[in-house]
Amino acid sequence: MTLKEKIEAGKFIVCGEIGPPKSCDGDVLREKSKYFKGIVDAVNITDNQTAVVRLSSIASAKILLDEGIEPIIQMTCRDRNRLAIQSDLLGAAALGIHNLLCLTGDYQKFGDQPEAKGVFDLDSIQLVATAARMNCGFLLSEQEMKKTPGFVIGAAANPFAEPLEMRIIRLYKKVQAGACFIQTQPVFDMNIFNKWMEKVVELGLHEKCAILAGVMPVKSVKALYHMKKEVPGVKINDEYISRLEKALDPKEEGVKIAVEMIQTIRKIKGVRGIHIMPVMWESITPVIVKEAGLNSA
Amino acid sequence: MPIKFVTTGKPITPGERKVSRVLLLFEDIVKVPVFGCQRCGECILSSTGFVCSQRCPKRLRNGPCGGTGEGGQCEVYPERKCVWYKIHKRSKLFGRLSLLYKLNNIHNWNLEGTSAWLNVFMKRITAPIWFVRGDKQKVKEILSNDAQRKD
Repeated sequence: MTLKEKIEAGKFIVCGEIGPPKSCDGDVLREKSKYFKGIVDAVNITDNQTAVVRLSSIASAKILLDEGIEPIIQMTCRDRNRLAIQSDLLGAAALGIHNLLCLTGDYQKFGDQPEAKGVFDLDSIQLVATAARMNCGFLLSEQEMKKTPGFVIGAAANPFAEPLEMRIIRLYKKVQAGACFIQTQPVFDMNIFNKWMEKVVELGLHEKCAILAGVMPVKSVKALYHMKKEVPGVKINDEYISRLEKALDPKEEGVKIAVEMIQTIRKIKGVRGIHIMPVMWESITPVIVKEAGLNSA
Repeated sequence: MPIKFVTTGKPITPGERKVSRVLLLFEDIVKVPVFGCQRCGECILSSTGFVCSQRCPKRLRNGPCGGTGEGGQCEVYPERKCVWYKIHKRSKLFGRLSLLYKLNNIHNWNLEGTSAWLNVFMKRITAPIWFVRGDKQKVKEILSNDAQRKD
Protein backbone atom coordinates (compact mmCIF):
# COMPACT_ATOMS: atom_id res chain seq x y z
CA MET A 1 0.00 0.00 0.00
CA THR A 2 1.38 3.40 -0.88
CA LEU A 3 1.24 6.45 1.36
CA LYS A 4 -1.56 7.89 -0.76
CA GLU A 5 -3.68 4.77 -0.41
CA LYS A 6 -3.06 4.68 3.32
CA ILE A 7 -4.13 8.30 3.72
CA GLU A 8 -7.26 7.65 1.69
CA ALA A 9 -8.06 4.47 3.60
CA GLY A 10 -7.70 6.27 6.94
CA LYS A 11 -4.90 3.99 8.17
CA PHE A 12 -2.58 5.10 10.96
CA ILE A 13 0.62 6.34 9.34
CA VAL A 14 4.20 6.15 10.62
CA CYS A 15 6.90 8.20 8.92
CA GLY A 16 10.64 8.28 9.50
CA GLU A 17 13.28 10.74 8.46
CA ILE A 18 16.70 10.46 6.85
CA GLY A 19 19.22 13.27 6.51
CA PRO A 20 21.39 12.73 3.42
CA PRO A 21 25.19 12.77 3.90
CA LYS A 22 27.43 15.79 3.38
CA SER A 23 29.19 13.96 0.56
CA CYS A 24 28.40 12.05 -2.62
CA ASP A 25 28.48 8.69 -0.83
CA GLY A 26 25.19 7.02 -1.72
CA ASP A 27 26.13 3.93 0.29
CA VAL A 28 25.47 5.89 3.48
CA LEU A 29 21.85 6.07 2.43
CA ARG A 30 21.70 2.42 1.43
CA GLU A 31 23.14 1.57 4.83
CA LYS A 32 20.58 3.72 6.65
CA SER A 33 17.72 2.30 4.62
CA LYS A 34 17.82 -0.96 6.58
CA TYR A 35 16.48 0.85 9.65
CA PHE A 36 13.34 1.79 7.76
CA LYS A 37 12.53 -0.97 5.30
CA GLY A 38 9.30 -2.67 6.28
CA ILE A 39 9.18 -0.67 9.51
CA VAL A 40 7.73 2.71 8.54
CA ASP A 41 5.26 3.66 5.82
CA ALA A 42 7.35 6.42 4.29
CA VAL A 43 10.58 8.27 4.94
CA ASN A 44 11.20 12.01 4.70
CA ILE A 45 14.37 13.04 2.89
CA THR A 46 15.51 16.43 4.10
CA ASP A 47 16.46 19.14 1.64
CA ASN A 48 19.67 20.85 2.81
CA GLN A 49 18.29 21.07 6.34
CA THR A 50 19.39 24.03 8.47
CA ALA A 51 20.87 25.48 5.29
CA VAL A 52 23.81 23.05 5.21
CA VAL A 53 24.72 21.55 1.83
CA ARG A 54 23.93 17.85 1.58
CA LEU A 55 23.29 15.28 -1.12
CA SER A 56 20.23 16.38 -3.10
CA SER A 57 16.93 15.18 -1.68
CA ILE A 58 15.60 13.99 -5.04
CA ALA A 59 18.76 11.98 -5.79
CA SER A 60 18.66 10.49 -2.27
CA ALA A 61 14.99 9.66 -2.70
CA LYS A 62 15.76 7.77 -5.91
CA ILE A 63 18.45 5.74 -4.14
CA LEU A 64 16.01 4.85 -1.36
CA LEU A 65 13.23 4.10 -3.82
CA ASP A 66 15.53 1.53 -5.44
CA GLU A 67 16.09 0.05 -1.98
CA GLY A 68 12.36 -0.49 -1.64
CA ILE A 69 11.51 2.46 0.60
CA GLU A 70 8.78 4.95 -0.12
CA PRO A 71 10.39 8.40 0.06
CA ILE A 72 8.82 11.78 0.82
CA ILE A 73 11.00 14.51 -0.63
CA GLN A 74 11.20 17.79 1.19
CA MET A 75 11.23 20.80 -1.11
CA THR A 76 12.26 24.17 0.24
CA CYS A 77 11.84 27.61 -1.30
CA ARG A 78 15.16 28.87 0.02
CA ASP A 79 17.34 27.48 -2.76
CA ARG A 80 15.16 27.61 -5.85
CA ASN A 81 13.10 30.08 -7.79
CA ARG A 82 9.78 29.11 -9.40
CA LEU A 83 11.44 27.79 -12.56
CA ALA A 84 13.82 25.47 -10.68
CA ILE A 85 11.07 24.28 -8.35
CA GLN A 86 8.77 23.26 -11.17
CA SER A 87 11.55 21.63 -13.11
CA ASP A 88 12.79 19.70 -10.04
CA LEU A 89 9.26 18.58 -9.26
CA LEU A 90 8.80 17.31 -12.80
CA GLY A 91 12.12 15.50 -12.49
CA ALA A 92 11.07 13.88 -9.23
CA ALA A 93 7.77 12.72 -10.70
CA ALA A 94 9.57 11.27 -13.72
CA LEU A 95 11.78 9.24 -11.35
CA GLY A 96 8.68 7.85 -9.67
CA ILE A 97 8.83 10.04 -6.57
CA HIS A 98 5.39 11.43 -5.84
CA ASN A 99 5.36 12.29 -2.15
CA LEU A 100 6.23 15.86 -1.49
CA LEU A 101 6.61 17.97 1.64
CA CYS A 102 6.48 21.70 0.91
CA LEU A 103 8.53 23.93 3.19
CA THR A 104 9.67 27.54 3.19
CA GLY A 105 13.10 26.50 4.45
CA ASP A 106 15.47 27.60 7.18
CA TYR A 107 17.07 30.96 6.63
CA GLN A 108 20.58 30.68 5.10
CA LYS A 109 22.06 32.55 8.08
CA PHE A 110 21.70 29.40 10.21
CA GLY A 111 23.77 27.24 7.88
CA ASP A 112 27.47 26.80 7.21
CA GLN A 113 27.40 29.32 4.35
CA PRO A 114 25.56 32.32 5.73
CA GLU A 115 26.82 34.49 2.87
CA ALA A 116 24.48 32.74 0.44
CA LYS A 117 21.60 34.47 -1.30
CA GLY A 118 18.25 33.20 -0.12
CA VAL A 119 15.73 32.92 -2.93
CA PHE A 120 12.26 32.67 -1.32
CA ASP A 121 10.57 33.34 -4.65
CA LEU A 122 7.58 31.33 -3.39
CA ASP A 123 6.49 30.60 0.15
CA SER A 124 5.41 27.19 1.40
CA ILE A 125 1.70 27.87 0.82
CA GLN A 126 2.30 29.02 -2.73
CA LEU A 127 4.48 25.94 -3.23
CA VAL A 128 1.60 23.71 -2.12
CA ALA A 129 -0.67 25.57 -4.55
CA THR A 130 1.92 25.19 -7.34
CA ALA A 131 2.14 21.42 -6.81
CA ALA A 132 -1.67 21.21 -6.71
CA ARG A 133 -1.83 23.15 -9.95
CA MET A 134 0.67 20.75 -11.53
CA ASN A 135 -1.52 17.86 -10.39
CA CYS A 136 -4.33 19.47 -12.42
CA GLY A 137 -2.05 19.42 -15.46
CA PHE A 138 -0.86 23.02 -15.52
CA LEU A 139 2.43 24.72 -14.83
CA LEU A 140 2.47 28.17 -13.22
CA SER A 141 2.36 29.55 -16.73
CA GLU A 142 -0.74 28.59 -18.70
CA GLN A 143 1.28 25.72 -20.20
CA GLU A 144 -0.71 22.52 -20.12
CA MET A 145 1.03 19.19 -19.49
CA LYS A 146 0.08 15.98 -21.24
CA LYS A 147 0.92 13.87 -18.22
CA THR A 148 0.13 14.92 -14.66
CA PRO A 149 2.67 14.27 -11.89
CA GLY A 150 0.17 12.99 -9.32
CA PHE A 151 1.84 14.43 -6.25
CA VAL A 152 0.77 13.54 -2.73
CA ILE A 153 1.20 17.00 -1.28
CA GLY A 154 2.22 17.55 2.31
CA ALA A 155 3.08 20.60 4.35
CA ALA A 156 4.47 21.36 7.77
CA ALA A 157 2.79 23.04 10.71
CA ASN A 158 4.27 24.45 13.88
CA PRO A 159 1.67 24.46 16.66
CA PHE A 160 4.18 25.91 19.13
CA ALA A 161 5.31 29.22 17.61
CA GLU A 162 3.69 32.58 18.22
CA PRO A 163 1.22 33.94 17.20
CA LEU A 164 -0.77 30.78 17.84
CA GLU A 165 -3.90 31.99 16.04
CA MET A 166 -1.87 32.62 12.90
CA ARG A 167 -0.73 28.97 12.96
CA ILE A 168 -4.30 27.80 12.47
CA ILE A 169 -4.84 30.35 9.69
CA ARG A 170 -1.73 29.09 7.93
CA LEU A 171 -2.82 25.48 8.34
CA TYR A 172 -6.20 26.41 6.89
CA LYS A 173 -4.52 28.09 3.92
CA LYS A 174 -2.27 25.08 3.30
CA VAL A 175 -5.19 22.65 3.34
CA GLN A 176 -7.18 25.00 1.14
CA ALA A 177 -4.25 25.19 -1.30
CA GLY A 178 -4.23 21.39 -1.62
CA ALA A 179 -2.15 19.80 1.14
CA CYS A 180 -3.41 16.31 1.98
CA PHE A 181 -1.06 15.53 4.85
CA ILE A 182 0.52 17.72 7.51
CA GLN A 183 3.63 16.94 9.54
CA THR A 184 4.02 18.97 12.73
CA GLN A 185 7.18 20.21 14.38
CA PRO A 186 8.35 17.91 17.18
CA VAL A 187 6.01 17.87 20.16
CA PHE A 188 7.67 18.68 23.46
CA ASP A 189 4.70 20.32 25.12
CA MET A 190 1.56 18.23 25.28
CA ASN A 191 -0.69 21.05 26.57
CA ILE A 192 -0.11 23.35 23.62
CA PHE A 193 -0.37 20.46 21.18
CA ASN A 194 -3.68 19.38 22.72
CA LYS A 195 -5.09 22.88 22.44
CA TRP A 196 -3.95 23.15 18.85
CA MET A 197 -5.51 19.79 17.96
CA GLU A 198 -8.79 20.84 19.60
CA LYS A 199 -8.90 23.89 17.36
CA VAL A 200 -8.00 21.78 14.30
CA VAL A 201 -10.82 19.34 15.06
CA GLU A 202 -13.26 22.19 15.73
CA LEU A 203 -12.60 23.57 12.24
CA GLY A 204 -12.83 20.10 10.71
CA LEU A 205 -9.35 20.37 9.21
CA HIS A 206 -8.42 16.88 10.44
CA GLU A 207 -10.94 15.42 7.98
CA LYS A 208 -9.44 17.20 5.01
CA CYS A 209 -5.85 16.25 5.67
CA ALA A 210 -3.99 13.64 7.68
CA ILE A 211 -2.27 15.25 10.67
CA LEU A 212 1.00 13.49 11.55
CA ALA A 213 2.48 14.54 14.88
CA GLY A 214 6.23 15.00 15.05
CA VAL A 215 8.14 13.08 17.71
CA MET A 216 11.84 13.68 18.22
CA PRO A 217 13.81 11.25 20.39
CA VAL A 218 16.85 12.97 21.92
CA LYS A 219 20.12 11.41 22.99
CA SER A 220 21.04 13.81 25.76
CA VAL A 221 19.77 16.73 27.77
CA LYS A 222 22.25 18.92 25.89
CA ALA A 223 20.17 18.55 22.75
CA LEU A 224 17.12 19.85 24.60
CA TYR A 225 19.03 22.81 26.05
CA HIS A 226 20.29 23.61 22.59
CA MET A 227 16.81 23.50 21.11
CA LYS A 228 15.31 25.58 23.87
CA LYS A 229 17.96 28.26 23.49
CA GLU A 230 18.94 28.25 19.85
CA VAL A 231 16.04 26.91 17.81
CA PRO A 232 13.27 29.48 17.49
CA GLY A 233 9.64 28.43 17.61
CA VAL A 234 10.19 25.38 19.82
CA LYS A 235 8.52 25.00 23.22
CA ILE A 236 9.91 22.39 25.60
CA ASN A 237 8.17 21.36 28.77
CA ASP A 238 10.59 21.46 31.73
CA GLU A 239 9.35 18.01 32.77
CA TYR A 240 11.30 16.40 29.93
CA ILE A 241 14.44 18.38 30.71
CA SER A 242 14.45 17.35 34.37
CA ARG A 243 13.73 13.73 33.49
CA LEU A 244 16.70 13.62 31.14
CA GLU A 245 18.90 15.45 33.63
CA LYS A 246 18.20 12.85 36.30
CA ALA A 247 18.45 9.83 34.04
CA LEU A 248 21.44 7.51 34.44
CA ASP A 249 21.24 6.48 30.81
CA PRO A 250 19.96 9.53 28.88
CA LYS A 251 19.68 7.58 25.62
CA GLU A 252 17.37 5.02 27.18
CA GLU A 253 15.34 7.76 28.88
CA GLY A 254 15.11 9.62 25.55
CA VAL A 255 13.60 6.54 23.93
CA LYS A 256 11.25 6.06 26.88
CA ILE A 257 10.00 9.63 26.63
CA ALA A 258 9.46 9.30 22.88
CA VAL A 259 7.53 6.04 23.32
CA GLU A 260 5.33 7.51 26.06
CA MET A 261 4.71 10.55 23.93
CA ILE A 262 3.63 8.44 20.96
CA GLN A 263 1.22 6.50 23.14
CA THR A 264 -0.33 9.73 24.47
CA ILE A 265 -0.50 11.37 21.05
CA ARG A 266 -2.22 8.35 19.50
CA LYS A 267 -5.17 8.85 21.82
CA ILE A 268 -5.71 12.49 20.80
CA LYS A 269 -8.68 12.94 18.53
CA GLY A 270 -7.80 13.88 14.97
CA VAL A 271 -4.20 12.63 14.92
CA ARG A 272 -3.71 10.33 11.96
CA GLY A 273 -0.10 9.37 12.34
CA ILE A 274 3.34 9.87 13.79
CA HIS A 275 6.40 11.35 12.19
CA ILE A 276 9.56 10.14 13.97
CA MET A 277 12.39 12.59 13.38
CA PRO A 278 15.60 11.75 15.24
CA VAL A 279 18.38 14.10 14.18
CA MET A 280 21.36 12.04 12.96
CA TRP A 281 20.18 9.07 15.03
CA GLU A 282 18.24 7.12 12.41
CA SER A 283 19.16 3.77 13.97
CA ILE A 284 16.79 4.39 16.86
CA THR A 285 13.67 4.53 14.67
CA PRO A 286 13.01 0.74 14.57
CA VAL A 287 13.44 0.53 18.36
CA ILE A 288 10.86 3.24 18.95
CA VAL A 289 8.42 1.81 16.42
CA LYS A 290 8.66 -1.58 18.12
CA GLU A 291 8.41 -0.33 21.71
CA ALA A 292 5.50 1.97 20.95
CA GLY A 293 3.69 -0.95 19.33
CA LEU A 294 3.28 0.86 16.02
CA ASN A 295 4.06 -2.24 13.97
CA SER A 296 0.61 -3.65 14.42
CA ALA A 297 -1.03 -0.34 13.53
CA MET B 1 -8.81 25.11 -14.83
CA PRO B 2 -7.17 25.49 -11.40
CA ILE B 3 -6.97 28.85 -9.65
CA LYS B 4 -4.52 31.43 -10.85
CA PHE B 5 -2.29 32.87 -8.16
CA VAL B 6 0.44 34.61 -10.11
CA THR B 7 0.04 38.31 -10.85
CA THR B 8 0.43 38.69 -14.60
CA GLY B 9 -1.02 41.37 -16.88
CA LYS B 10 0.32 43.58 -19.61
CA PRO B 11 4.07 44.28 -19.55
CA ILE B 12 5.12 47.72 -18.34
CA THR B 13 5.91 50.13 -21.20
CA PRO B 14 8.84 52.58 -21.00
CA GLY B 15 6.33 55.45 -20.89
CA GLU B 16 4.61 53.89 -17.92
CA ARG B 17 7.92 53.51 -16.13
CA LYS B 18 8.36 57.30 -16.40
CA VAL B 19 4.89 57.92 -14.94
CA SER B 20 5.62 55.32 -12.28
CA ARG B 21 8.81 57.11 -11.25
CA VAL B 22 6.94 60.40 -10.75
CA LEU B 23 4.14 58.71 -8.81
CA LEU B 24 6.67 56.92 -6.61
CA LEU B 25 7.96 60.30 -5.38
CA PHE B 26 4.57 60.83 -3.73
CA GLU B 27 3.92 57.21 -2.85
CA ASP B 28 7.24 56.93 -1.00
CA ILE B 29 6.51 60.01 1.11
CA VAL B 30 3.51 58.22 2.60
CA LYS B 31 4.41 54.55 2.45
CA VAL B 32 8.09 54.44 3.37
CA PRO B 33 8.02 56.31 6.72
CA VAL B 34 4.57 55.11 7.79
CA PHE B 35 4.56 51.46 6.69
CA GLY B 36 8.22 50.73 5.96
CA CYS B 37 7.31 50.07 2.32
CA GLN B 38 9.83 47.98 0.39
CA ARG B 39 8.49 49.05 -3.04
CA CYS B 40 7.47 45.60 -4.23
CA GLY B 41 4.96 47.27 -6.55
CA GLU B 42 2.37 44.66 -5.67
CA CYS B 43 0.97 46.19 -2.51
CA ILE B 44 -0.98 43.96 -0.13
CA LEU B 45 -0.81 46.40 2.81
CA SER B 46 -4.60 46.54 3.13
CA SER B 47 -4.88 42.79 3.66
CA THR B 48 -2.00 42.64 6.12
CA GLY B 49 -3.32 45.07 8.73
CA PHE B 50 -1.36 47.97 7.17
CA VAL B 51 2.00 46.48 8.14
CA CYS B 52 4.34 45.82 5.19
CA SER B 53 4.86 42.05 4.91
CA GLN B 54 7.88 42.59 2.66
CA ARG B 55 10.04 43.62 5.60
CA CYS B 56 10.17 39.92 6.50
CA PRO B 57 13.69 38.61 5.69
CA LYS B 58 12.07 35.77 3.76
CA ARG B 59 9.59 38.21 2.19
CA LEU B 60 6.72 35.88 3.05
CA ARG B 61 3.35 36.99 1.74
CA ASN B 62 1.14 34.38 3.37
CA GLY B 63 1.91 34.34 7.07
CA PRO B 64 4.82 33.80 9.44
CA CYS B 65 7.43 31.06 9.10
CA GLY B 66 7.75 28.57 11.95
CA GLY B 67 10.51 30.47 13.71
CA THR B 68 8.72 33.27 15.53
CA GLY B 69 10.05 33.48 19.08
CA GLU B 70 8.00 33.36 22.26
CA GLY B 71 7.94 37.14 22.56
CA GLY B 72 7.32 37.53 18.84
CA GLN B 73 10.97 37.98 17.81
CA CYS B 74 12.12 37.41 14.26
CA GLU B 75 14.29 34.28 14.00
CA VAL B 76 16.75 35.91 11.63
CA TYR B 77 17.14 39.23 13.47
CA PRO B 78 16.16 38.56 17.10
CA GLU B 79 16.38 42.28 17.91
CA ARG B 80 13.39 42.85 15.59
CA LYS B 81 9.76 41.82 15.98
CA CYS B 82 8.45 39.34 13.43
CA VAL B 83 6.45 41.38 10.92
CA TRP B 84 3.76 38.72 10.80
CA TYR B 85 3.46 38.90 14.58
CA LYS B 86 2.76 42.61 14.11
CA ILE B 87 0.40 41.93 11.21
CA HIS B 88 -1.63 39.53 13.33
CA LYS B 89 -1.80 41.97 16.23
CA ARG B 90 -2.76 44.89 14.04
CA SER B 91 -5.33 42.88 12.06
CA LYS B 92 -6.96 41.79 15.29
CA LEU B 93 -7.01 45.36 16.61
CA PHE B 94 -8.55 46.76 13.43
CA GLY B 95 -10.97 43.85 12.91
CA ARG B 96 -9.35 42.69 9.68
CA LEU B 97 -8.54 39.06 10.55
CA SER B 98 -10.79 37.72 7.78
CA LEU B 99 -8.36 39.16 5.21
CA LEU B 100 -5.55 36.93 6.48
CA TYR B 101 -7.36 33.82 5.20
CA LYS B 102 -6.84 34.84 1.58
CA LEU B 103 -4.06 33.25 -0.51
CA ASN B 104 -1.82 36.08 -1.66
CA ASN B 105 -0.35 35.79 -5.13
CA ILE B 106 3.20 34.79 -6.00
CA HIS B 107 5.09 38.04 -6.46
CA ASN B 108 5.51 39.39 -9.97
CA TRP B 109 9.11 40.57 -10.00
CA ASN B 110 8.48 42.74 -13.05
CA LEU B 111 6.56 45.05 -10.74
CA GLU B 112 9.43 45.39 -8.28
CA GLY B 113 10.28 49.06 -7.77
CA THR B 114 7.23 50.38 -9.63
CA SER B 115 4.35 52.42 -8.28
CA ALA B 116 1.65 50.21 -6.76
CA TRP B 117 -0.86 53.04 -7.26
CA LEU B 118 -0.21 52.97 -10.99
CA ASN B 119 -0.44 49.17 -11.00
CA VAL B 120 -3.85 49.36 -9.33
CA PHE B 121 -4.95 51.96 -11.87
CA MET B 122 -3.72 49.74 -14.73
CA LYS B 123 -5.59 46.79 -13.15
CA ARG B 124 -2.43 44.68 -12.75
CA ILE B 125 -3.09 44.25 -9.04
CA THR B 126 -6.29 44.38 -7.02
CA ALA B 127 -7.37 47.60 -5.35
CA PRO B 128 -6.89 47.94 -1.58
CA ILE B 129 -9.75 46.99 0.71
CA TRP B 130 -10.36 50.04 2.89
CA PHE B 131 -13.18 48.91 5.17
CA VAL B 132 -14.08 45.54 6.62
CA ARG B 133 -17.44 45.21 8.37
CA GLY B 134 -18.35 42.32 10.62
CA ASP B 135 -14.92 40.71 10.66
CA LYS B 136 -15.83 37.89 13.07
CA GLN B 137 -18.91 36.99 11.02
CA LYS B 138 -16.78 36.97 7.87
CA VAL B 139 -14.26 34.57 9.40
CA LYS B 140 -17.12 32.26 10.35
CA GLU B 141 -18.50 32.44 6.82
CA ILE B 142 -15.12 31.65 5.29
CA LEU B 143 -14.80 28.55 7.46
CA SER B 144 -18.41 27.37 7.01
CA ASN B 145 -18.62 28.05 3.26
CA ASP B 146 -15.66 25.86 2.92
CA ALA B 147 -17.32 23.12 4.94
CA GLN B 148 -20.32 23.24 2.61
CA ARG B 149 -18.19 23.13 -0.48
CA LYS B 150 -16.58 19.96 0.76
CA ASP B 151 -19.97 18.21 0.91
